[in-house]
Amino acid sequence: MPCERKPMRYGHSEGHTDVCFDDEGKCVVTCGSDGDVRIWESLDDDDPKSINVGEKVYSVALKNEGANFGILFSSDFIVKIVEVVDSSQQKTLRGHDAPILSVALDPSDEFLASSSCDGSVAVWSIESQTQVAQWQILQKSSDVSNAKSLCRLAWQPRSGKLLAVPVDLTIQLYDRNTWTHVSTLSDDLISQVVNVVVWSPCGKFLAAGTVGGNLLVWDVEAKLCIERQKHEKGFTVCGMAWHPSGGRIAYTDTEGCLGLLEGVPSSSSTVQSTKAAAAKETHDYDDLFDEDDDRGLDEGMSDSRSPVKKPIMEEDDDDDDLMPATGRPRNRGSFLDDDDNSQDPSCVKLDGVPEEDGSSAILPAVGPAVSRPVYEGPMPTQPQRAFQPGSTPVHLMHRFMVWNSVGIVRGYNDDQDNAIDVEFHDTAIHHAMHLTNTLGHTMADLSQEAVLLACEGTEELASKIQCLHFSCWDTHKDWIVDLPKGEDVRTLCLGQGWAAVATSALMVRLFSVGGVQKEIFSLPGAVVCMAGHGEQLLIVYHRGTGFDGDQALGIQLLQLGHKRRQVIHGEPLPLSRKSYLAWMGFTAEGTPCCIDSEGVVRMLNRTLGNMWTPVCNTRDSCKSKSDHYWVVGVHENPQQLRCIPCKGARYPPTLPRPAVAVLPFNLPYCQTTTEKGQMEEQYWRSVLFQNHYGFLSSSGYEIDSEGQSRAEKEQQELLMKMFALSCKLEREFRCVELAEIMTHSVVTLAIRYASRSRRMALAQRLSELALEKASQIQEEEQEEEEPAYQREYRGSNQMSRRLAPVENGCEEEEEYPQEEQMDAEESTETRKLSLNPFKKGGKSPERPSPKPKYLINIFKLQVSGAGKSSSSPAGQPRTTNVLDSMTMSNRKPAPLGSTSKQGKAPVLKPLAPKPKSKTQATLLQMSASKGNSKKLEDSQSEAEKVKPAPAATPPASAENIENRKPKTGFQLWLEENRKSILADNPDFEEMDVIKEGMGRFRTLSAEERLNWTERAKGDSDPKKRKREDEEGQVDEQTESDEGRTKKKKPLDTSAKLSAFAFNKE
Amino acid sequence: MDPAEVEFLAEKEMVKIIPNFSLDKIYLIGGDLGPFNPGLPVEVPVWLALNLKQRQKCRIVPPEWMDTDKLEEIREQERKLDTFTPIPSLYYMELTKLLLNHSADNIPKADEIRTLVKDIWDTRVAKLRLSADSFISQQEAHAQLDNLTLMEINTTRSFLLDSLNYMYKLRSNLQPGRSQDY
Repeated sequence: MPCERKPMRYGHSEGHTDVCFDDEGKCVVTCGSDGDVRIWESLDDDDPKSINVGEKVYSVALKNEGANFGILFSSDFIVKIVEVVDSSQQKTLRGHDAPILSVALDPSDEFLASSSCDGSVAVWSIESQTQVAQWQILQKSSDVSNAKSLCRLAWQPRSGKLLAVPVDLTIQLYDRNTWTHVSTLSDDLISQVVNVVVWSPCGKFLAAGTVGGNLLVWDVEAKLCIERQKHEKGFTVCGMAWHPSGGRIAYTDTEGCLGLLEGVPSSSSTVQSTKAAAAKETHDYDDLFDEDDDRGLDEGMSDSRSPVKKPIMEEDDDDDDLMPATGRPRNRGSFLDDDDNSQDPSCVKLDGVPEEDGSSAILPAVGPAVSRPVYEGPMPTQPQRAFQPGSTPVHLMHRFMVWNSVGIVRGYNDDQDNAIDVEFHDTAIHHAMHLTNTLGHTMADLSQEAVLLACEGTEELASKIQCLHFSCWDTHKDWIVDLPKGEDVRTLCLGQGWAAVATSALMVRLFSVGGVQKEIFSLPGAVVCMAGHGEQLLIVYHRGTGFDGDQALGIQLLQLGHKRRQVIHGEPLPLSRKSYLAWMGFTAEGTPCCIDSEGVVRMLNRTLGNMWTPVCNTRDSCKSKSDHYWVVGVHENPQQLRCIPCKGARYPPTLPRPAVAVLPFNLPYCQTTTEKGQMEEQYWRSVLFQNHYGFLSSSGYEIDSEGQSRAEKEQQELLMKMFALSCKLEREFRCVELAEIMTHSVVTLAIRYASRSRRMALAQRLSELALEKASQIQEEEQEEEEPAYQREYRGSNQMSRRLAPVENGCEEEEEYPQEEQMDAEESTETRKLSLNPFKKGGKSPERPSPKPKYLINIFKLQVSGAGKSSSSPAGQPRTTNVLDSMTMSNRKPAPLGSTSKQGKAPVLKPLAPKPKSKTQATLLQMSASKGNSKKLEDSQSEAEKVKPAPAATPPASAENIENRKPKTGFQLWLEENRKSILADNPDFEEMDVIKEGMGRFRTLSAEERLNWTERAKGDSDPKKRKREDEEGQVDEQTESDEGRTKKKKPLDTSAKLSAFAFNKE
Repeated sequence: MDPAEVEFLAEKEMVKIIPNFSLDKIYLIGGDLGPFNPGLPVEVPVWLALNLKQRQKCRIVPPEWMDTDKLEEIREQERKLDTFTPIPSLYYMELTKLLLNHSADNIPKADEIRTLVKDIWDTRVAKLRLSADSFISQQEAHAQLDNLTLMEINTTRSFLLDSLNYMYKLRSNLQPGRSQDY
């Protein structure tokens, strides 16, 4: 592209801004809504002169010698013309029905054009104060603040022959004499409303800036777009100005930034190209112009410019120097009036009166329109500069050089003082320090051991690194290192016992904290920033060129210290679209974390192949669009994002001292308004923020095992809650999926929950899953040798007595009391009925005995697994052990039950870990109400089932031995019909037989079933029957009174549960 | 009631501090405080905040209302209305005094705040005196005053009650037919 876009400069605070050049083009003048007018020597001017002129400045224009007119307009719909010198002659132009958007004074002072929110553009005769022409071409709006476009009008300079009006996506040109529409300029690139138009000083070109941030330049005669540029961030362009010599355009946006386009084709360049045709090839923009066109322009030029000035122009163009060009007045006549509807004129505009007569020099000689090759593809992004995480921009006089979890380093660089203040959050580390900054340090980092400072080199002085090693025990507490000539420090960081410095030579230099030079290595690209934590070094650099506002950053994570390795090998760093890196560092626990300019916080997920997971968007917490959060630290335990709220800015000021706020993390999961989404988000957040335990323990740090187990418990509780929720929603497949993530011991809890809520299919699948999990644990266990301590562990457990028989393979005896006890406690629950046949069937003598050895092994190993950190299949390391230890005291019988019955009667896991009893209670309440609702649906069939119920319900555990004798009606029936079932399906296993039997038994008529039940009752002893009858009555009563049950049932269940929990303790 | 007692009560108010030391949660009868992380704001009672401040262990974050703009607004409101306006803190006077006396360096525009709070106080106390005056002069039996703070009530309580008692005594002496019991 022929023109070069210089990087944007921050000039003003956000809001409306304007820009213009001075007459000689020596400096750029900008103004903004912060009320300042700044005079920039060049774009690289770091210290622009700043003049505060009022609360808000809307427009600037420089006074020319001949200036004697000012136009002002206010929101009372009137345009006023004031004689600037004595303000004696005021002229008022009335006719607009809405606030005025902009005005433009004709170069020959004859006319004045204005655009208004009422949608009209009008031309007034200044002399007669009447409207000459009016066009209803704009979109109507109620107020300036609501107008889509600023609609800055522009007269062609000198002649004023054409008036350019931005209309929607196009620019319309109106002829001065006839006030008719001459032509329209448009381009495909314009996707949003045109905001500003300006003519080049020669009047041949027209530049426009759009709301969408596009900058375009047209050749007016040819009606061809010769330049297309995009604002680097796509902000709205609200002020543009040509350099008086042409060739460059300054522009400002609504975010307060100032930019410069260089090498814009101008009249001078075309002059040159014709004059020095031989030198054509050297100008990369020559191909833009056809020769015929050039000649036409040249003619125009030679008329208007004195020949003397031509060489100057040429020179100007060649070396890009700012040479004094013609003192031609600039013609800018538009500004925005006050938003707050004040009646007083918002500002006075000085407009130069042209010295030269508007000659007819610029003829709209339409040359042959030749299509020119214009690059329209994606534009490369300006690579972001190197920065220190937690610092505010270098050009500020008072700035934070670093703010991290250790302390704050402030830099002052004003007239009185050039100093650095170091302050520690925890004064126990070191007292505050005040240093005079003689070397001009601009970068700093702070750790518990040292302060590292660095400055870039100047022509005479080399770039220096200074380290104040305050934790040093000898008397020399600081050291200074000079970098080789021509090498500048770009960014630096401190770790534990080391310091790293990245330089302009694409190199990283490592030092010990005492000043010993250590490794050096090269980086693949220019460094962006570095961060250190413990032995980890994180380096972000430019991996390549980004396009369309995106940065292409790469990241390396190195492990220094004794086991040196590269953890992340220069992989791309994910950032939001069109954003840049704003902060990079480690959490207090040592997990890398990055924040981009869109406020998205991402954290490295070490368990997911070192991927980056977004954990928070700070912009979500901002009240207004211009507010930002400036992050100073990230903590994983407790989950805290420490940041400083900045109202209307990206960076906090040093005074008044900003206060730290804490933001919560929030993973961007779907549907977090629903309970499900919330719990999912909570669960995965908990998992993610617990990863650091694994990392810390693997790198040999001490970890807060209590916190870890708390986190794991929380996760399992969440899983159980999600499980209950899906159960409630009858999403059984989902339930199983959730159970797959659970640890084994929680799965048993889930099984119980499922069976209680009468989801037999689910319970069965879950028990299969539990078995699978158990065997997986076993496999893992077999790989490792069973450690000795495991036996001790088991021995310490008071239940070792119970274990012994299990190991001997005679667990059947042990298991029954457990089951029966459970049954007794739950006997009032008629819903459980359907289970009983399974259970009894499972115990019937014909039943093929499960392979006890194998299953016992499972159990044993599972217990031993508790002692170690065996990972569950869901990939959560050490989850098992925590839950196991949590439930240790009473979990013993649970696997017994499951193993002996091959997980087919999972109801009977007497597993009630004490800390969980609360959760359980709520879960059961849910299940109970669920059961009730189900009852409503098939109360009819339910009523029938009530009958066999009491019979099936075994009584209290005290009567263990008897309990095995009573049989339900179904069992009696089954015994009689077993043979026929087996005859029909000879390959049936015991379980299948029972299932089939169940099915058949159900098909029997109610009477027949009653009959069987009676027979069963007859078999059992009278004492028990009495009791059962009572229960039956209770049940029937419950059934009959639905409304009462609904209220009562959950209460009952929880009461029962608490009793249960108490028993189990 | 002594002003010192009122001040003592005000010391129970919570205020944010930024500690420069690290300490786990502390468990007190009145409730748990902390944990204290260096650099991270934490809410503590004023008495503790002042104590820590005196030992240079923390910086006090002034309460939200302790801001010139907000106080100016309240002052204007207070001057405009005849009744008492609601005050952001029931202990505004005591807290201002305590915090400004002990940690003026942590509070921006401390002097302005002092003046503003004094202005508000003066306006309110003047109103209180005025209403007491009209209460007595009109010989009303009861009156209702909303949004008064403890300190304000305290300034006028003893005087008003005593004077009412005396007036009652004097009036009952004046009444004919009443024996002189006193």
